[in-house]
Amino acid sequence: MMKNTMKKLIMIAAGAVLMQYAQAQTIDRSKEPAPGPAPVLSIKDPVIYKLPNGITLLVVEDHRLPKVTATYNIDAGPVTEGEKAGVLSLMGDMLNEGTKTMPKADFDEAVDKIGANVSLSWSGGYASALTRYFGNAFKLMGQALKEPAFTQESFDKLKSQDITGLKSQAKNAKAISARVTNALSFGRNHPDGEFETEESIQKLTLQDVKDFYAKYITPSRGYLTITGDIKATDAKALVTEVLGSWTGPKLSLENIPDTPNPGKTEIDLVDVPNAVQSEIHVVNLINLRMSDPDYFPALIANYILGGGAQARLFMNLREKHGFTYGAYSSLPAARIQSLFDASASVRNAKTDSAVTQFLAEVNRIRTEKVTDEELANAKALYAGSFARGLEDPARTATFASNILINKLPADFYRTYLQKINAVTVDDVRRVAQKYINYDHMRVIIVGSQAQILPGLQTTGLPINFFDKYASPVTAPAAGK
Amino acid sequence: MQTVKKVLFALTATAFISFGARAQKVDFTEYDLPNGLHVILHTDHHAPVVAVSVMYHVGSKNEEPGRTGFAHFFEHLLFEGSENIKRGDFMKIVSANGGSNNANTTQDRTFYYEVFPSNYLETGLWLESERMMHPVINEIGVKRQDEVVKEEKRQSFDNRPYGNFVNTVEKDLFTVHPYHNSVIGEMKDIDAAKLEEFKAFFKQYYVPNNAVLTIAGDIDVAKTKALIASYFGPIPGGAPVVYHKVEEPPMTKPIIDTFYDANTQIPLVSVAYRIPGRDSRDARVLQMISNLLSTGGSSRLYKKMVDDKKEALQVLAFNPTLEDYGMYIIGALPNNGTSNEVLLKDINDEVVKLQTDLISPEDYEKLENEMENNFVNANSRELGIAESLANGYTFLHKDTNDLNEELAVFKSITREEIRDAARKYLDANKRLTLYYLPGKAKAK
Repeated sequence: MMKNTMKKLIMIAAGAVLMQYAQAQTIDRSKEPAPGPAPVLSIKDPVIYKLPNGITLLVVEDHRLPKVTATYNIDAGPVTEGEKAGVLSLMGDMLNEGTKTMPKADFDEAVDKIGANVSLSWSGGYASALTRYFGNAFKLMGQALKEPAFTQESFDKLKSQDITGLKSQAKNAKAISARVTNALSFGRNHPDGEFETEESIQKLTLQDVKDFYAKYITPSRGYLTITGDIKATDAKALVTEVLGSWTGPKLSLENIPDTPNPGKTEIDLVDVPNAVQSEIHVVNLINLRMSDPDYFPALIANYILGGGAQARLFMNLREKHGFTYGAYSSLPAARIQSLFDASASVRNAKTDSAVTQFLAEVNRIRTEKVTDEELANAKALYAGSFARGLEDPARTATFASNILINKLPADFYRTYLQKINAVTVDDVRRVAQKYINYDHMRVIIVGSQAQILPGLQTTGLPINFFDKYASPVTAPAAGK
Repeated sequence: MQTVKKVLFALTATAFISFGARAQKVDFTEYDLPNGLHVILHTDHHAPVVAVSVMYHVGSKNEEPGRTGFAHFFEHLLFEGSENIKRGDFMKIVSANGGSNNANTTQDRTFYYEVFPSNYLETGLWLESERMMHPVINEIGVKRQDEVVKEEKRQSFDNRPYGNFVNTVEKDLFTVHPYHNSVIGEMKDIDAAKLEEFKAFFKQYYVPNNAVLTIAGDIDVAKTKALIASYFGPIPGGAPVVYHKVEEPPMTKPIIDTFYDANTQIPLVSVAYRIPGRDSRDARVLQMISNLLSTGGSSRLYKKMVDDKKEALQVLAFNPTLEDYGMYIIGALPNNGTSNEVLLKDINDEVVKLQTDLISPEDYEKLENEMENNFVNANSRELGIAESLANGYTFLHKDTNDLNEELAVFKSITREEIRDAARKYLDANKRLTLYYLPGKAKAK
């Protein structure tokens, strides 16, 4: 067993400005106060152990509160379910249905008796408890992972719940929008584009659940983070006792081909007659890794475009025009293709105007340089949110596992703020042009077609029609 | 000597186990400025973070008749700028200094906050003091936020499945008390309001003597006090805020109501009761009953209705904490085509069981552990600590220390009290039965 304790590191944020504290003196309120000296950010790396069966254990000691939390994450990457769409989440739910030696009622009683939280999913597990009960909680989580009961009765119950759950979302514009946006963008054969339906769930069997369990619930590529009131050596002993002898198949990431973006920017419209707002997503697929040099300029570009309540989309669509409660964008890095997504919920009457403004903002960030002030503000926000994030003791474990999972250099977070600071105005425009399309986007709108179609026709964009499951439908007859 | 030492050690160990929670006591200092602003300071240097917050003791229950939604609308207005902060700059200043901020409004209070790297403490104080001292309230801001709030109402309530559930329960449980109205309010009321009314609302409620400034995190208390004096000291105090609680006449007979939500396809059937406000011991007893009924896989309703009988997709039991009164809501979503009446009967049977039998010592121990777990998890962020401290002062008779005492209160609640509270408050003759059904909303 290899022990790998990284060195403690100290970071000094750049740009320290000294100031003197006034003793209840008169202040000049007409000006924003100068900040105090920048705090020293100290990041204590987690203690990392590698178990022979493949599990990487990361421990962050934090003894301020009498509690311990464990999170187990199996890094399977995106998994294609194909005809078995919905099986992974159902399998994850089945892990919460008791074990071979403890029927569900006994298992639940054992967890609740100690006031703990234990839950399982297809990508791992979670256990959180008061310090004195953590060992029990962790053992229950381990048992659920290793020897689930998998009874037919539980399977039938969960299947019926899944189907009812799907029914309950059938008219929810937001849920429809999430499904259709992914399906149209990635394609229905892609793990991020496929989705479960009542039909696909109906066809699943208990054997399917067992098959997917055998393949994906394993110590291989497993990352276990334990945070809280526990000594690293005690955590290691507990994990070795509970999961040390666990074996399972070796996981490898699926090879997933890229999906093309549309040849020309188009509107994809889904009719939900009961909607009082349109769900708008302006999207295109991107290839951006955390290890790319573009990663940091891309963070900044997205932040300026739609990263929050001070960003351009919010200021334009909400504060200037009052079309929406909020408009945002995201430009996520991933190991495979991901989606640039600018979105808002907009009232029916302003749907077309909002589309016009979305595209105008996309065009602006691609063609015009952002101002020095915008760039400086964006950098300051990242520096600040980096510091604020350290309030969460588990954050350093996330850093460490990100480095391992994404094959990042060991000093990725140590030099994070330096790399943010190095981003230039030209970098921002360059990555905006590279990752945010203007001519090859989908504008996916889920809303009340009768009310919004006439306006959308004035945008001049081609309009394609789809049902709630992303299948093409014919255009409505031309009317008034 | 040896023996004595051993005994002492044993005593210490026992004390540690039963009062383990004491290790996490939240220390604070508090005082009033001459203008009446109550200040609470909590120091924690573990991360370079500071939360600056102001809780104004004004919510939707302070609204005039015909002016619903005013308190929440005001929360939006107060981001429009001040004499020294240009319109639109408020959020820019926060983020350009690495902070995050927001605000929210309930029936009883409005809460504004910023979380900054700790060297921007003064920026936070400047922003909040500008907001309290001289915000700009004009037609431009009113017009813009009027549109934004309408979108918020659509997004958070009218376009969201079950979005109008709690509003409907409130409307039915309260007949004369302003809890009858939803926090988001009726849009026509805001449309009808004149600019002068907004200005008057500010003058009446946004006075330092109706607010609590709470700062939590990586601060130096002496320096912080000096800064607070500089930024908040010059704000003039206002007239005392006078609030008269409207007494609801006791419910004398069951109420049955139906609401249609076009966004849903599965009914939500529920029963709801009016209970005492958050400062009462019974509100906490009822919180324990919520846990017993619906928290965790072994909870009574969940086990029976979701797992054993497989008749429900989901069950819920909760009591939103309000100042003057509370609500106690129990509900279920059917599965496998179960009728609403079967669900209601099973809910009712569990309530009757609580009223008849004492809970077992095992169930009681479980509850105590769950309460302790909640307690330990509750105060892990500076912003959460700031809000808990301010809540104690604002709602629990100036008992800022409540968050340190809460667990002891839960531990002192007996099994008999649990049974008696169920008898007293979960009375079948004084309850609302609400059928929240899929379908077209009827004309309002």
